[in-house]
Amino acid sequence: MRKVAIVGGGATKCGKREASWRDLVQEAGKAMFERLGNLSPKDVDSLIVGAAQPERFVFQAHVAPMVAECLGVTPRKVLARAELMCASGQAAIRYAWACVASGLSDVAVAFGVEKMYMPDMAEAQTNMTCVLDREWDGVNGLSAPPFFAMTAQRHMHEYGTTKEQMALVSVKNHHYSTMNPLAQFQKEVTAEDVLKSVMIAPPLQLLDCSGITDGAAGVVLVPAEDAKKYTDTPMYIVGSGQASIGNAIGNLSSLTEWVPLKMAVQEALKTAHITLDDIDIAELHDCFTISEIMEYEAFGWCDKGKGGRFIEEGQPYIGGRVAVNPRGGLLGCGHPLGATAILQALDILQQFRGEVLKGRHVEGAETAVAHNLSGPANVHSIMVYSR
Amino acid sequence: MSEVEFGKIKRSETIKLPYMLDFYPLEDVKNTRISQFFKNLKEGHLTTTKCRKCTKLLWPPRIVCPNCLSNELEWVDLGTEGELYAFTEMKLGAPLGFVEDVPFCIGIVKISDLLTSTRIDNAKYNELRIGDKLRLKVVELEDGRVFYRFKKVESKE
Repeated sequence: MRKVAIVGGGATKCGKREASWRDLVQEAGKAMFERLGNLSPKDVDSLIVGAAQPERFVFQAHVAPMVAECLGVTPRKVLARAELMCASGQAAIRYAWACVASGLSDVAVAFGVEKMYMPDMAEAQTNMTCVLDREWDGVNGLSAPPFFAMTAQRHMHEYGTTKEQMALVSVKNHHYSTMNPLAQFQKEVTAEDVLKSVMIAPPLQLLDCSGITDGAAGVVLVPAEDAKKYTDTPMYIVGSGQASIGNAIGNLSSLTEWVPLKMAVQEALKTAHITLDDIDIAELHDCFTISEIMEYEAFGWCDKGKGGRFIEEGQPYIGGRVAVNPRGGLLGCGHPLGATAILQALDILQQFRGEVLKGRHVEGAETAVAHNLSGPANVHSIMVYSR
Repeated sequence: MSEVEFGKIKRSETIKLPYMLDFYPLEDVKNTRISQFFKNLKEGHLTTTKCRKCTKLLWPPRIVCPNCLSNELEWVDLGTEGELYAFTEMKLGAPLGFVEDVPFCIGIVKISDLLTSTRIDNAKYNELRIGDKLRLKVVELEDGRVFYRFKKVESKE
């Protein structure tokens, strides 16, 4: 296996965009190639497109060749779409990484895009509901908000976690997203704002939930030995972990133990030859406030059930135990499904390069993890990046 | 410009909820090999498959055991009473086909050691508690298909 580097990338502004799916693709493609002076679209030999549900959101299939067309790339090694719902972008990175690591590909683009705003939001919610096992779970009206609401309910019931503690996750991530020009949400929120926001599915309120978001992003992967051809400051893929337990709710033995996340964490640390203490930045999948709290615990930064206390103590802020979501997270930046993991990778690269605003810069950071969950938290995917 | 014709078109079809946007599964023998589940449900029995070879209880019902790949599966009754493991109420953001039901309660019920999601009928969020006893309810759609839900067993029962 060859060591692989990410040498650059670009992205759109995320949010409720006045732009079509293919407009987003073109914006992100232009941003990506313009920041990589020594790379022409014709040099790209592989393109993997992370896209969760273009068939439902924009009624378009066969999207990888459409992205190739928009970007002016002509892949001759691997051209494919990657779908792993909320982790589709990370699936694209993992495929592109495998292509380059194996020696098959020399310049691979991992791209991600999602256009989620639709004229009828009930239709968008319908799309999100078929992410779960549609015939056995979706049929009950179960989608992400009610699933994570029940997860939060069990965590509160078993460990005494409070809504106030959950709100603090939203406060932190919105704070960092005010310093991220790509973020969907650019305003500070207070714990009171979160607790006063409209109820979605109790105990989760609007500001406990990540947004419906349009956005696109791409990053370029090359063999580490070629990285300096394109940039003086590449970042390297040094490890990864992924684990899953099916899709139906029935596979979960408990809502408050994310067994596959623990497995993915162990694998990621082992393959990267690092310990938890080596991680300076953690981009965690905060699709809901409770998710981030459970992730502090599953990674091991705090004891089981103490995730609420961990945020209360300010430990996941820059300068604390570990900087969690200094990008602004999904809560602050939005969650354009296929693009989210690409945006995480891109932001980590910019952190390493010192290209982010001072207030959210993790100075001297050497190692970062990017995590995504998908479905009802029964798939967890982690990449480990190092400068 | 004068040579360009402008015209309006009308798409007069009334589109019914298409199959691919219907959350309820097709349940007759022509469309699924687990139609027995729905036949049983029509008679008031919530059932699933159990592997005769490795004895694993499988949910949702299967035609091949994912544990040992055997296709010697048998139907077993899960009973009609379960315990409420978790619940919430959909207040905003329901999908098509559920919008008029809002608000409605969704829960996870523990039944015969299985956890599965379910609609909880005739329930108010504030009146439910973790650990409540739930009883099977069978609902029939307009076209005769059936599905399971649960309802709270009132303490006076």
